[in-house]
Parts: sequence; structure tokens; C-alpha cells
Amino acid sequence: MSPLGVPVLDPDAPVILEMRHISKTFGAVTALVDASINLRRGEVLALVGDNGAGKSTLIKILSGFHQPDSGAIILGGKEVHFSSPRDARAQGIETVYQDLALIGDLSIFHNMFLGRERHKRVLGLKLLDNAKMRDLAVTYLKTMGISIPSVHSMVDLLSGGQRQCVAVARSIYSSPTILVLDEPLAALGIREGGQVLGLIQNLRRQRSVSIILIVHNYHQVFEVCDRINFLHSGAIVLDASTTETSEEELIRIVKSGQGRRGTAAAAEVGFGPA
Amino acid sequence: MSSDLETKKAQTSPALEPNPATTGKVGLRTPNTLVERVLFILSRHRETSIAAVAIALVVYFQIGSGGEFLTAQFLGVVFRDTARIGLLAIGEVMLMITGEIDLSVGSTFSIAPYTMALLSVLWNVPLAVGAVAGILIGVLVGAINGIITVRFRVPSLITTVGTLFFLQGIAVSIYNSQPIMTPVEEPFNEFFGESLYNPRADAIVSWHSLSAFTPVLWAVVVAAVMTLVLNRTTFGLHTVATGSNITGAQEIGVRVDRVKVYNFMIAGGLAALSGIVNTLQFSSADPAAGSPFLTLQAIAAAVIGGTSLLGGSGTAIGALIGAFVVATLNNGLVLIGAQATVSDIYLGAGILGAMLLNVQVDRLRARRRI
Repeated sequence: MSPLGVPVLDPDAPVILEMRHISKTFGAVTALVDASINLRRGEVLALVGDNGAGKSTLIKILSGFHQPDSGAIILGGKEVHFSSPRDARAQGIETVYQDLALIGDLSIFHNMFLGRERHKRVLGLKLLDNAKMRDLAVTYLKTMGISIPSVHSMVDLLSGGQRQCVAVARSIYSSPTILVLDEPLAALGIREGGQVLGLIQNLRRQRSVSIILIVHNYHQVFEVCDRINFLHSGAIVLDASTTETSEEELIRIVKSGQGRRGTAAAAEVGFGPA
Repeated sequence: MSSDLETKKAQTSPALEPNPATTGKVGLRTPNTLVERVLFILSRHRETSIAAVAIALVVYFQIGSGGEFLTAQFLGVVFRDTARIGLLAIGEVMLMITGEIDLSVGSTFSIAPYTMALLSVLWNVPLAVGAVAGILIGVLVGAINGIITVRFRVPSLITTVGTLFFLQGIAVSIYNSQPIMTPVEEPFNEFFGESLYNPRADAIVSWHSLSAFTPVLWAVVVAAVMTLVLNRTTFGLHTVATGSNITGAQEIGVRVDRVKVYNFMIAGGLAALSGIVNTLQFSSADPAAGSPFLTLQAIAAAVIGGTSLLGGSGTAIGALIGAFVVATLNNGLVLIGAQATVSDIYLGAGILGAMLLNVQVDRLRARRRI
């Protein structure tokens, strides 16, 4: 048992995603160098690293927003190519970006169903079935334990934690195999961050979706994740389960990485050239 | 640890137990000061507040003119202006919701009916067919505006200034800037703008008096359709999403470029319809009928009607009421004997007031205070 009562991930859980040798440059800027990650069914994987380490680029490649210069994405044993976020979503990869992609001027239930609206025919016209979407949203948010004043509320009126929960709930609604969360705790206070952590912990306990998570706060990493991948200057310099590493080690990597550049950091954690 | 476990359990249980962390103090932000409260109410009911202004104006002019304002004849004039400006304004609202604007609608307003008239006098094409051709031209102009704007990332303010001059130039040069008399082809003309009302011969409740109001009836129909589109269709939802948070909408998979182009096409089509209705009223097509000034009046109507300058919100009904306010000011001031030039002072002040109010409301919205 991990400290918070979440059963340890089954060691035989199959690998459902591999990103192999991904490289990406934007003009003169190298974002990723030969980065590889893998993810098992039901696992919660944290991507950590300093600003500009390539975390966001990596998940934007996974979610189809960017295309890699080289490397392959293997999903469920088959190589896939995503030319747009739509492709990735069709393959069961849902992403919640930092900006949450919520529409402030639309109600919560419209946000939940944006891009997958429910319709009804009225006099041959294909109109939105607002009542159905509203009811589905109410039921769904309740089962996830998310309490919202009213699903009619415009998202602009919600607090940061509520918005994050709505965004996660929306992504989970389509039962993805992989959920990608880009800094779900950024800009949230302790109390609001707690709501979101609770939600992630719930999902982790159920082990029905694999989660890739970008987090900055190392303490929170150990609370909700099974494994940590540390990125530095576009390369993975550490791949360890949360039981095999510690907050201190992560901090040491950050510091040494800053002091002696990436290769030194890689050597220090015993991550020599393959 | 055990208490920790319990809280977590409460969150997992599929029962209807609310997450304790999501209830309570982190709920809706409520407005505090009186000013905020007033702005809050305005932001929720912008149409209502502008409708109140419209009614106040009508009362003022009714009294000021000694009862001349609320007559079928005068209202016919006000409603014609309302329709002309309103149809353009509804198109602008759709675009402004997506965060774009179209300054070329005045030129489309000229060229669409002019095409209809030309087809009629040169090749005897029925007006109804010419009108369809004119509207298709408007839609095409919108498509061009939209494609240039989204494909080449040119701000629509610039794109449409270009098409404004380009189309106006074409309109005045194809037939030596001659106004063209169009034939009267009933019932097409009376359905789309020609007034058959004769105050001496016709009863107030009759087809002839109704025909004096056909333009505004079309504007009402269009406003109703656009309201339905905005609130009850996927396209409407995507239109709001595009203007409210374009990156977010894109990430979700809304085809924002396509949504924008379609709205440009709607604005173009409505501008053409407005021009055609206007032409059928006089049975004369003027190649310079739609001045840039008309476009600006339509944008003013949209803004007065509560359309957000930041994109993401606006209503067709608001645009129509805004158009009524503009038309009432234009005509009412003349009715009570003010100089025609004075009405612009009031209009200008009204627009500034409405803009300042909208910006205040937007600013509060941006800070998520209300």
C-alpha cells in the first residue's frame, strides 16, 4: 500500500503506450532529444523537470498538437500517427491543457459536451438537446463527486479548482485510455489543489485510465503518482517509481542540472549513454 | 492517516456525496459594491436594459413631437431604417461574437441589389432570381473576406477595408454609376420591402399597412432564426466558443477557422438581403446606396445592443433593438425639429456611452468578478 491507501500498480499491467526516441525542434530551439517514455495500464506517470525541459512539447506530441521530427508513438502495440488533436482523441487520448480549454462564455454542461454535442430532431432540424446534456452532466458530475452550484453556471463564474475539475471530468467523460494533464495544479491554492488531487487519486484508485501528469510541486508528485520521468533539456534523465526515488533526489537533479548541464545530471543519477 | 482515508473515500464513493472541497467558500463570486451589482445586472440582461432605453426614447419623441411618432406612417419609416441597419447589425453580431468584424457590408449592401437590377434591365431576369444571385454574391464576398482573414492571418479590420473599397469601386464602375430603376414584380416587391400603404385609403389593419412593415418583419424573422442558431445549434455553440476562447476551442476540436468563414458568409448574405430589401422599397438601385457610414451605424447598433467587444457574447435580438435605437435617434430628432446634424451628436454620445458600459462589463468579466 502506498501512503494514501492506493493499491500498488499491478507489476504485470501491460504497457499501453510507448513513445520511442522522440525528437523535436522549433526553428533553432531544440525541445526534445531522443526522449522515450512508456506507460502501463492504470498507471499514473509524472513528467517533471524545469521550465523549458520539453514536458509540454512531449505531451503536445502525444495529443496530436505537434508532430515529432523523428521517433514513433506505439499505442496498444501498434504504431500511430496523429496529425491533429482530433486523431489523438479518436485513439482514446484525452488531454487537459493548462489553459483548460474551457469556454468561459458557455455553461458547464455546454462545456462538457462541446465537440460531442447531443442532438434531437425538431421539425427535421438538428437542434441541440440541451435538456439531455444538462441531465447527463448533472448525473456525471455527481458520480465523480464534483459539486458545482449549477450546471447552468457560466464557466467564467467558477473558481480555479472547480474549473480544473470540470475540465478533467469533461476529458474523462469519453472514457479515454490515456488522460494527459498539463499542470493541473498550477495557479491553484492549497484547498483548490486538494480538490483536484482528490479527483486524480480517485481515478488512480480505479485504475481504469492511465494518466500522464505534468507537475511542478515534487511533494504532490509523490502523493498521486506511481512513477516519475524527469526531463532535462529535452531528454529523460531519470525514470523511477515513486518508491525508488525521493523528493531530495529530484531536487538534487534540478540543482546539479542547473549547475553542470544535462549530461552531468544524467551521469549523477546513473543514466549513462544507452 | 485513517481520517485522510475517509475523506478520500467520501470522494470516491459513486453515491451522491459532494466533494467537501468543492462546496462552500469557493463557489460563485458575488458582486459587492452597488456599481458592481448594477453592472452585474446589466451584464446578464443587456437586451432588457437597452430595450428600456429604446422605450424611453420613444416616449420622449412621442411627447416632443405632439404625438407624431407613434403613427403608422412614421413608424413605417423608423422600422425601415431599423430593418436596414438591423439586418447588417445581426451579421456583425455573429462576426463580433467570433472576435471578427466586417467593414465591407456597406459595399455588399450596394453591389448585391445593383446586380439584381442589372440582371433585370439587361437580360430581363426576374427580380426574385436576381435577388438570389445578389445574396449569393454577398455570401461569396463573405467567404472571400473570411478566407483571407483566417488563411493569411490578416486582421479582419484590414481585410474588409480592402473589400469595402474594392467592391464599392466595382459597383460604381460597372454601369457608369447610374442608378437603375427596377421593375415592379408583384408579389415579390411587396413581400420584400415595397410599401403599398396609403394612409388615406387603407385601413390600419390591412395587407397594405402590413406591407409597410415587411422589411422589419424580415429583420425579426432573421433575428429569430439567428437566435435559434446561436442557442440551439452546434454551429452557434462553436461560434461562441471560437470568440470566447479560440485556443481552447481549437484544442477541443472546434474548427475555428471554418466557423469564422461561415459567419463572414452569414454577414455577407445578410448585407445583401438588407440591400435588396432597401432597393425594392424604392424600386431603384443606387450603386452607392451603402456608404461606410451605414456600416458604422450597424456596428454601433450591435455595440449598443450589448455585443461584447472581446468576442464570445452578443445576441441577434440585442442587435435589432440597437438598430431600433439608432433609427429612432436618426428620425426622432428630425421629427421634433432638430437639425439633422444634431442627431449624430446624440448617436455618437449614445455609442460612446454604450461602449464605455460594455468595456466596463467586459473588464469585470475578464477579471471574473461577476
